[in-house]
Amino acid sequence: MSVIDVEHVEKVFRIPHEKRTTIFEALTGLLRPTGYETFQALKDVTFSVEEGEMFGIIGENGSGKSTLLKLLAHIMRPTMGTISVKKKVTPFLELGVGFNPDFTAVENIRTYATIMGLSKREIEGRIDEILDFAGLERFRDTKLKNFSSGMQVRLAFSTAIQTDPEILLMDEVLAVGDMEFQQKCLDVLNRYRNEGVTIIFVSHDLDSVRRFCDRALLLRHGEQVTLGDVNEVIDRYVSGIGLG
Amino acid sequence: MMFLEHMKALYGYRNLIWTLAWGEFKQRYKNSVLGYFWSLLEPLLMLVVLYVVFSNLMRIQVEYYQLFLLLGIILWNFLSRATSMGLNAILGKPSMVQKIYFPREILVLSSCITALLMSIFESLVFIAFMAVFQVPLSANLIYVPLILVLLFVVSLGLSLALAALNVFYRDVQFIWAVILQAGFFATPILYPVTIFPESLRDIFLLNPMAHIIISARDAIIYSTPAAAGSLLYAGVMAAIMLAIGYVIFAHYEPRFAEEM
Repeated sequence: MSVIDVEHVEKVFRIPHEKRTTIFEALTGLLRPTGYETFQALKDVTFSVEEGEMFGIIGENGSGKSTLLKLLAHIMRPTMGTISVKKKVTPFLELGVGFNPDFTAVENIRTYATIMGLSKREIEGRIDEILDFAGLERFRDTKLKNFSSGMQVRLAFSTAIQTDPEILLMDEVLAVGDMEFQQKCLDVLNRYRNEGVTIIFVSHDLDSVRRFCDRALLLRHGEQVTLGDVNEVIDRYVSGIGLG
Repeated sequence: MMFLEHMKALYGYRNLIWTLAWGEFKQRYKNSVLGYFWSLLEPLLMLVVLYVVFSNLMRIQVEYYQLFLLLGIILWNFLSRATSMGLNAILGKPSMVQKIYFPREILVLSSCITALLMSIFESLVFIAFMAVFQVPLSANLIYVPLILVLLFVVSLGLSLALAALNVFYRDVQFIWAVILQAGFFATPILYPVTIFPESLRDIFLLNPMAHIIISARDAIIYSTPAAAGSLLYAGVMAAIMLAIGYVIFAHYEPRFAEEM
């Protein structure tokens, strides 16, 4: 059973030559229309993802991977085409959304976990576990601004993985953090996979994609180049780089 | 029907709405007890200045003028604060708009709730004043919750429209600040509307805030039932403003993440 169906999706951004950001400019601009460039971030993308599948999206910078994830997360809407997502989506596009430097670790866990969709009872039951996993038990009442950036990322990650996703969208989350942290991320990814969570995985780390994903989608300049078995898609990508 | 569905969806997010509202409230007062007391100073200072000016220089004769004034200031302050905070509810939280999804109106709703918490705190001063002046309480206080709901709905409707417009037109916040300033003097906060001749009065009473403030004074200070006509008018206006605010918000909402 497919949980994500993307059909003929296009995303076009309009970039005006002269950006009008005030009512005054908008009114005076009525008399003197400014031109705009269009940037086609995605062109005719069609795929579906099966339940429990781990699906990779690869491509160069600017190929539309992040835009596609934002469309799947409902953060942006497609210009054309349809996207149907049949289960609850949990986006890991950025860790620590809503973190407040003036609040303590525990307060931030509560806020962030609520944003990520955990209920009050679930949060209270998991706070110790989150702090323990992040290795920050001693700092539960320390304000976040006194944390190093590494500690903040660990806290955010430990909280994020306490959510029970049905569909997980991961965008380069592995790129931050040291080796040990990256290993932890991969372990968690594996755990989710074994639990049958559907995962959409965007990464430049082709080894991880090859190791974890079942199928993959290759994008180039917003166009869908290949879709299918992960090894074939990666091989195509790697050979494609040489060909330009 | 759509409205009910929508309310049900928002109810599912009540925990998030409250967490955001309470977090913002705590943040404003920096978690300190002193912070809370500082926030009371502003309305009190305003009260003193306006009281001195209007009761002595302008010779306004109103029973319980201090309370009359303070209640008007507190209610107006709520509208002013809720809309000023609501205005930035979307623009001020880029990561929540661009990196995660939940219905965006939650951000506006929770900022209005933060404003409400701040106003509740302010009204403690008013309650103290009521006790000092030994104002008799009456059963007419039962109108108060309804009046406050109307005030909240008006503020939420305005905030929804302003929050959405502010993403696209960054001067909305400056224009709104001017409108608020003008509104403070055009609303019967400092004076009773009866100082004007009949013909002018009707113009002042087009403003739903006038009805809300007058009704609140009647019910709380003067032991008089709020006029049914006032409540009805304010109720209809509040519903219209919420509807318009929501339509504007829904129109712009899909492009928030791109525009910011």
